[in-house]
Amino acid sequence: MRKFASLIIVVLLSGLLLMTFLSLSTADYDLSEHYINHGAEETKALNLVTAILFDYRAFDTLGEATVVFAVASTIAFLVPKRTASMISARFSIIMQQTTSLLIPFLFMIGAYIIAYGHISPGGGFAGGVILAVITILITVTFGIRYSDRQVRPEIKSFMESFGAMGFVLLGFIGIVLGGNFLANANSTLDLGVKGELISSGIIPHINLMTGLKVAAGLSIMFNSLIKEE
Amino acid sequence: MDTPVLLVVLPLLTAFSLGIIKTFSKKLVKAVTVISATVHLALIISVVREAMQSPIVYHLGDWDNLLGISLVIDSFSAMMALLVGVLSYGVIIYSLVYVDFHELKYYVLSFLLIAGVMGMSLTGDLFNLYVFFEIVSITSYALVAIKEEEASFEGAFKYLVMGMLSGTFVLLAIILTYQVTGALNFAQVAANFGDAPMLVRQTIFVFFLIGFGTKFCLVPLHAWLPDVYCGAPASFNALSSGIVIKASLYAFIRIVFLLFGMTAGIGQILIYWGVITFLVAHTLAYQQESLKRLLGYSSIAQIGYILLAIGLGTESGIIAGSYHIFNDGLMKATLFLGVGIFSYAVGASKIDDLRGLGFSMPKISFAFVIATLAIIGLPPFNGFISKWLILQAAWETEYIVAAFFIPVGSLLSLAYYLKVIKALYSRPEREIEVKPIDWKLRVPTYVLSAACLVMGIIPGLSLALIENIPKFLLDSSNYINLLLGR
Repeated sequence: MRKFASLIIVVLLSGLLLMTFLSLSTADYDLSEHYINHGAEETKALNLVTAILFDYRAFDTLGEATVVFAVASTIAFLVPKRTASMISARFSIIMQQTTSLLIPFLFMIGAYIIAYGHISPGGGFAGGVILAVITILITVTFGIRYSDRQVRPEIKSFMESFGAMGFVLLGFIGIVLGGNFLANANSTLDLGVKGELISSGIIPHINLMTGLKVAAGLSIMFNSLIKEE
Repeated sequence: MDTPVLLVVLPLLTAFSLGIIKTFSKKLVKAVTVISATVHLALIISVVREAMQSPIVYHLGDWDNLLGISLVIDSFSAMMALLVGVLSYGVIIYSLVYVDFHELKYYVLSFLLIAGVMGMSLTGDLFNLYVFFEIVSITSYALVAIKEEEASFEGAFKYLVMGMLSGTFVLLAIILTYQVTGALNFAQVAANFGDAPMLVRQTIFVFFLIGFGTKFCLVPLHAWLPDVYCGAPASFNALSSGIVIKASLYAFIRIVFLLFGMTAGIGQILIYWGVITFLVAHTLAYQQESLKRLLGYSSIAQIGYILLAIGLGTESGIIAGSYHIFNDGLMKATLFLGVGIFSYAVGASKIDDLRGLGFSMPKISFAFVIATLAIIGLPPFNGFISKWLILQAAWETEYIVAAFFIPVGSLLSLAYYLKVIKALYSRPEREIEVKPIDWKLRVPTYVLSAACLVMGIIPGLSLALIENIPKFLLDSSNYINLLLGR
């Protein structure tokens, strides 16, 4: 009976959505046209997504980074403290050696994606996730105690707070230069030459801070989720 | 000046910095909390005073109004900001003594919550609204569970499931709105929205109604709230009932007026749904024994009154509704802080546990009773004024049935609040041992309770703040011109 009722609700909702989508109109997307045609020129960031994420709508990104921050600090204290079976699995030496071999390369990729976020595809969020994979790999292969010894949880939460604070403080540069909060392309900053590593004002710096924050946040989340006590 | 953005950024910065400060000195955490909250309140008051003269628009990143995100502070936002400022300051002071569980996390999450609510009230961008909505939701789930008791986990889980559902609907509505208008900025969305097909507009309305309605507890969607309030710390209850629910309601009202206008059809839906909401909530509240559940249902009921008033779509209706938002914030915060003190001092959580507390804690009980009388709607308190204004507005627009049920609702609430007052002032069966109560717990409760009385005797104080609200709501072209800087 219950399943039947759910079925009816799902069918009704999907019917409504289907009808809506069928009659959907399109508008003039002046906004996205402007981003596509002038975005790279205005912000000097070749990667348009980064330009939108860290300049046009940087305030949204600050909010999204805050969401990750809030989730990480919530999960850190709100987890069932039971041993997870995955962690008790013992891996052979092959696995452990391969992981150790991989870690420097992972670090390189992560750092590259963060640093070149405004020139090539990538950015703070994507690179941060790759950096977080390093600690996740260590936790999975060597166990959580070893992982927490290598990168202590306090250091991780320090890094996370530092990254988040850095984002906000970089936003104040705009105010210091006489503009508004998070002003970059419209401030008096020298944006440099489009396509060079040191260009587009505060965007790469914000990228770096976001990368730090996301990396620390995700590895805190993973380690707290599978904590054994 | 850059004060408007600081209203959002200062609590964010505080939340981020607390983790770093803790590694240097644990004692500093509370000091920083208090200093930041005080500065925040001062900033809010200065911004609100400025906004009362003329509305403020702040462009983030100096992009012009169409490309970037803007903050808009008209009278309605200013009123919400003031409410957030007053309640959050009181609650932070109160928490200094009340909170003895996960202290650092509690302050971090509280500041994030305050920043989120502030962002929701000030933003002039549809997607930015959603981002802050998510911040508010996630920090709320966490704060509900922070006591790590059975009841708090149950409440948090229910809240999480319902919250995710509501978030999905809101996001879907925003995506559809972007599809048909090609913009996210409130002004441009409002200007382009009329060209969208009728069916799409109806769907968007329904999704916003369900999405935000789950958060501000329209009656069939309200079931999570009493369970959530049961397990949460009283300080969070005060914030939640005072500003978190109100922020979703604010967002809904803002969107409805901008996108759809208060047409007769939408108005009738809101009016009758409001009446049903407060009647059902009052009836359910009557059956409760737990204080927090009772106050939770009473919160739902007040939402019904506000929806009714807003749905009238007239100037007097909007003034009455927004005044009730403000008053209910003050009254509910007083009540929850009072309940928190009762449970802190003698571990009271049920109505029966209050027996005799009126004699052993006379001042707190008096402050508590003032707020109960106010929320019932008795003169000379603020609740009377706003309910009277709602009644008058409904009568003027000839919604006689709705107007008739307002006093009926008050009678119902009189019935269950009298139970509470009676328990407070009946002779106890045995001596009660009362823990000494710190001034940090008492002062915020007294101040908020006194505000209920002052707002009732001198309503002119806040009416000056809200008299301009209808100007930007009723005629959305005013808001559009303001945001576009025309």
